Amino acid sequence: MKKILIVDDSKVSRMVIRAHVKAVHPDWEFFEAASGEEAIKSVVENKPDFCTMDINMPGMLGTDAAEQILQTNPHIRIAIFSANVQDTMQNRATSIGTIFVAKPVTEKSITIVLNYFASGK
Amino acid sequence: MNSLTELHLDALSEVFNVGAGRAAASLSDIVGEEVRLSVPSVEIRKSSEIDVSSMGLQSERFGAVHQTFSGSFEAEAILLFTEEHALEIVRDMMGSQISLEDLAEFEQEAMCELGNIILNACLSAMADMLNIPLNCSLPDYSVATTEEIFRRVSDDLEQPYVLLLHIDLAIERRHSEGHLIFLLSSTSLKDLIIQLERFLGAV
Amino acid sequence: MAQLMSPSPFAMEQIFNSISLGLIVLDAQQTVRMWNGWVERHTGIPANQAIGKHISEAFEELPSRAILNAITNTLNYGLPVVLSNALHRSPLPLFQRNEHEPEGEKIRIDQSITITPITAEYGERHCLIQISDSTTSIKREKILRTHSEALKREATTDSLTGIYNRRFFDEHYKMALGHAVRHSVPLSVFMVDIDYFKEYNDSYGHVAGDKALIQVAAALRKQLLRATDVLARFGGEEFILMLPNMAPDSAMLFAEKLRMAVWDLNIPHINSRICQRISVSIGFSNFYKHPDVDANSLLKCADAALYEAKKAGRNQSQYLPLQNFNISSTAPAGTLHKTASN
Repeated sequence: MKKILIVDDSKVSRMVIRAHVKAVHPDWEFFEAASGEEAIKSVVENKPDFCTMDINMPGMLGTDAAEQILQTNPHIRIAIFSANVQDTMQNRATSIGTIFVAKPVTEKSITIVLNYFASGK
Repeated sequence: MNSLTELHLDALSEVFNVGAGRAAASLSDIVGEEVRLSVPSVEIRKSSEIDVSSMGLQSERFGAVHQTFSGSFEAEAILLFTEEHALEIVRDMMGSQISLEDLAEFEQEAMCELGNIILNACLSAMADMLNIPLNCSLPDYSVATTEEIFRRVSDDLEQPYVLLLHIDLAIERRHSEGHLIFLLSSTSLKDLIIQLERFLGAV
Repeated sequence: MAQLMSPSPFAMEQIFNSISLGLIVLDAQQTVRMWNGWVERHTGIPANQAIGKHISEAFEELPSRAILNAITNTLNYGLPVVLSNALHRSPLPLFQRNEHEPEGEKIRIDQSITITPITAEYGERHCLIQISDSTTSIKREKILRTHSEALKREATTDSLTGIYNRRFFDEHYKMALGHAVRHSVPLSVFMVDIDYFKEYNDSYGHVAGDKALIQVAAALRKQLLRATDVLARFGGEEFILMLPNMAPDSAMLFAEKLRMAVWDLNIPHINSRICQRISVSIGFSNFYKHPDVDANSLLKCADAALYEAKKAGRNQSQYLPLQNFNISSTAPAGTLHKTASN
């Protein structure tokens, strides 16, 4: 039984990601955060195994939050899930040790995310 | 009920942000620089309630790109930038070496393409996420005064609803703001709500 | 959709190949199905060689990434794409026709391209690529654009003052009133008339008279606030303003603002019988939830109010409430006529 933290400022986005992941892993425990700052706090409190992270949110950028989280929790697998699909962002994602998956959230894109989470074993 | 809830608007916001991401990537390919494009807000209004202050538009003249849609959904989209911003954007897209004369010559074409890129990206996101396939016309570009635009919007009895999107565009270091307006008929609004409900219902 | 009388395939082919526009049709697999004469002439590749090949292989060089992506998008989503010459110099390898110098360097032409989805025989989605040579069209575009802007302005603008003309006002007034009736919002109409304007022309000449009109129009125009406010030239020295959503109590203040704006221009008028400068008389009325109002009553009421202002000594504003206005004893709007006021 794993714990997953879903980070996105859009409530709808969080709902959609949660629904898709739950369909494959109904037994997982779900946490949500609406900003980078909230995500960092949630990691300390809840210690998730996995995390999906949006980039453009109010406050800090998702990629910056991910970088911080990985510094103190290098074992967490983070997938940057974003509409901001340009090379600069994709490169940044890989350089900090995360993968980049383009939105929209679909069965296909969620599969890529879940495969990444599973491959860590 | 003919109204969009918070959740509906949030879902639309997501759709348009996916569109913005795609448009930014296309623009980035053309310009060769990072392009940041986002849709910070989506509102629904009645056409008769739109007035200058509600859109925060101070300028006299606007560059407007216009595309009409048909099919399951009937709407018109107008992408608006102040003329000043339009010229700046064109200059950024074409490279800052360009002369002012050439800029004016190319404004029409370049803005058409910009509008086409942004609108198509939004539409493809709507098609992918909300399952609303659309036929649309080629874009046309004109320079209009605030009065002309508002008259166009508020006088249209066939399309009494307006989906108003605020757009933030940054190319190189220059930041511009624009607006994207979708004029919708009552039927189109109903269809949109149905599709949004479906999208939300599936989660 | 436009139809030809009797489209013989022979005629269609002639047209297809002599049009001065490049036309390429691709099927859903991006294979060339049609390749017209213009494209043959600007590539040196005959149609029978190109047809059946994938678009990326039909030419001797690779088309640009932008156009290949655009084609894929149009076929996937059915959305039309514009590739402007401004942002894409020459996406396809197309060259100037150079019959006299076969050894010479091939010069790529500037292109403007659009890609549109079309439906083929059994419903599959194909796409049509239209290519136009941009080099001379750029200059032409500039000329055409300035022409069309000028034409647009002529139809609705008063050529002297640059503000809207009566024709424009008439159209928009009816719509605005209709809107006010349906949505129960207020609408105010102001008629502004320059005092002793005939005398001004007589003393200072028509050129000065024209100049004064331009100044007055500009001063009035500066007072407009909203996008929906309209100022138009209604007659020789008469102006009319229509302000939707203006509350009745604000209207008096506004009328005064208009009057002062013209007063402050301080245009000398020695033969004005009431003061030494150009002044205006203003008559106004408003509509707000009045039952059974027709477009003319409001205008006539404002006109009657203007008459009262003149009668009372000019250089002032007068208000006439619409509900007390008796239409039966008045002449059409625009003529000053004695009214049955309250």
